[in-house]
Amino acid sequence: MTQTVHTVDEGAVASEDVTAVEPRTPRPWWRLAVLLIGALVFVFPFYYMIVGSLQKQSNTSLSGVLPQPGNITLHNYGEINAALNLGRTLINSGIFTGGVLLATVVFGVLAGYALAQLRFRGRGLLFVMMLLLLMVPFQLLIIPLYVLIVRNYGLGNSYLGMIAPFAINSTAVFIFRQYFMQLPKELFDAARIDGANEFRIMTRVALPLVRPAVLTAMLLTFIGPWNEYLWPFLITKQQSMQPLAVALANYMNTVQSTVSNPFGAILAGAFVLAVPAVVLFLAFQRYFVAPNIGSAVKG
Amino acid sequence: MAQIVLDKVDKTYPGGVKAVDGLSLEISDGEFVVLVGPSGCGKTTVLRLIAGLEQITRGTIRIGDRVMNHVAPKDRDLAMVFQNYALYPSMTVRQNMAFGLQMRKTPKSEIDRRVHNAANVLGLEEYLERKPAALSGGQRQRVAMGRAIVREPEAFLMDEPLSNLDAKLRVSMRTSLAEMHERLSVTTVYVTHDQVEAMTLGDRVCVLRDGVLQQVDTPQNLFDRPVNLFVGGFIGSPSMNIVTAQLIRDDGEPTVMFAGHRLPIAEDVVHSRPEIEAYFDRDVILGIRPSDFEEASLVDETWARMSVTTHVTEALGSEINVIFVIDAPPVEHKDVADLVPAAEKGGAAVPLHEGKSMWTARVDAHSRVRAGDQIELGVDTRNLYFFDPDSGLAIGDKQPPAPKLSRRSASAAALREQR
Repeated sequence: MTQTVHTVDEGAVASEDVTAVEPRTPRPWWRLAVLLIGALVFVFPFYYMIVGSLQKQSNTSLSGVLPQPGNITLHNYGEINAALNLGRTLINSGIFTGGVLLATVVFGVLAGYALAQLRFRGRGLLFVMMLLLLMVPFQLLIIPLYVLIVRNYGLGNSYLGMIAPFAINSTAVFIFRQYFMQLPKELFDAARIDGANEFRIMTRVALPLVRPAVLTAMLLTFIGPWNEYLWPFLITKQQSMQPLAVALANYMNTVQSTVSNPFGAILAGAFVLAVPAVVLFLAFQRYFVAPNIGSAVKG
Repeated sequence: MAQIVLDKVDKTYPGGVKAVDGLSLEISDGEFVVLVGPSGCGKTTVLRLIAGLEQITRGTIRIGDRVMNHVAPKDRDLAMVFQNYALYPSMTVRQNMAFGLQMRKTPKSEIDRRVHNAANVLGLEEYLERKPAALSGGQRQRVAMGRAIVREPEAFLMDEPLSNLDAKLRVSMRTSLAEMHERLSVTTVYVTHDQVEAMTLGDRVCVLRDGVLQQVDTPQNLFDRPVNLFVGGFIGSPSMNIVTAQLIRDDGEPTVMFAGHRLPIAEDVVHSRPEIEAYFDRDVILGIRPSDFEEASLVDETWARMSVTTHVTEALGSEINVIFVIDAPPVEHKDVADLVPAAEKGGAAVPLHEGKSMWTARVDAHSRVRAGDQIELGVDTRNLYFFDPDSGLAIGDKQPPAPKLSRRSASAAALREQR
């Protein structure tokens, strides 16, 4: 649709002379509706977890979706704490996850740097084997790992025993290798000529440059050990060593019959387990935007 | 003593690629040596071998008097400047320059003194606390040089340090480099593909091709006495004009014939090149540099004459390049295959017009020649180049090159008369 335009010499173009700007094409309403439904589907389990953990009596019917004033209590939190000692198990989870993260980053950076920048015989073969190992399901390894770590190393019922199988993370090595490969070779040549040995080069030159990749690797690796059930369950003998995820899962089999609202208690425990993860993700959400993951730093 | 000696150095990569082939070179203490050649000729590989960043396959490298074959780069006491500067992005300029000295446990006061000196010399004082990302290309290049200078090494190694700069900056940095060499007198090995840089900076220039050293000499000698067709065509801009020609004796007077032109040449030209006797009545490759042409009216009768049709002119201000067609096919020889830019592989060393060679002649800036004009060119036959058509080797000239004094005064006088 054409508009009549007043030229300058006919006088100033007064705003009232110009035809009103065509309103923007509104976004189709159904697009918004679909997105809303999707959001609801994802948020609902968290929402119900909160509601359910506050119920005095478990109400699994549809009416129980909305919190009913008469049915609200914090009693469930007390119940689960009494059964599991939330504080202790949270600390165990923290130590376990923190240990895995530390080992992942340290070994990942070391291995990634070696695979990317150092030249040695069998380098390609090593890399391929590392990738192949990613395909082996953990369940296949449980029995030999148990024998190795508990019987041979004597690390049963210890934090180290919990962390050990997860300490070397092929995915992290891969991420760091790709990252290091994007750095220009001359940078490292210059450092070698300047007189730095390989370790110094890694710490003074390479490491400051991979900080974004370190953060990404940590965020990606966090949720694994935090939620891990099978291995910590196998390796711990006392409940005081168990991470929260394990203790919570066991609760369903052991103590629940003694409590009036077992579902409420479980949901309360689940809520406590979820909070740190959600907070972390919310705080660092911009690092999950695709371009940031594994992107190179230009000098 | 920081002389560098390479003795029959070979570098073969796994897979069989021979990047450096039997290279022997002696670089004296304090000398500025330039390694030049087309892309892929192995010059950067040679530099990296000297630095220790690559392992030699055969031969020895000595720096000072020590054999350095198995010595790590950090123990060779060399400093290197890279083409893309390779500055440490997470460190400030000061930290970049201090890094090498810190690695060598130099005392802090000494580090500060040297960094300050270098920053002064290079005009970097106000940038010391900036990171490389906040610097322009020229500034980064100076930081890279500063990083090398503070090390006070046995030798500098430079890998095309000026290639990433714009033209004007390149020229001014060239002068700075020359000044710095005057002042510091440190042995320098400099790699470039730009022969103008090579000629202006080098005490001696090594021309490399496919890993083989073609010729090592002063820039002027490379220009006047190329040892083969490749060096002749590589050095000099615009490039030497070449054609396959025949040498005959016309009534006893030696004459060179090509593409319908006949150039009589003086006897002493033949006498100073004893081997050329074998090439009479045979094909020979003739080379004439653009600077050995001039407008016929401006030179005396000792110069041979050639009448040509101007195809295109290039006015440069200080001179005019006259480009004309020579009725002869391009010279096909392995030595000139490299001189074609990669994009034109399959083409000839000299630009072509309908399958025929195009030559360039340099004439006085005030000549009134225009495209399409017939022009009569004078050719300085004392400086003709002859090459064997099979081996490409130059047919040697035992006399020192003739100065061009007579030409200058003749052309100046002629110009004054014309006005």
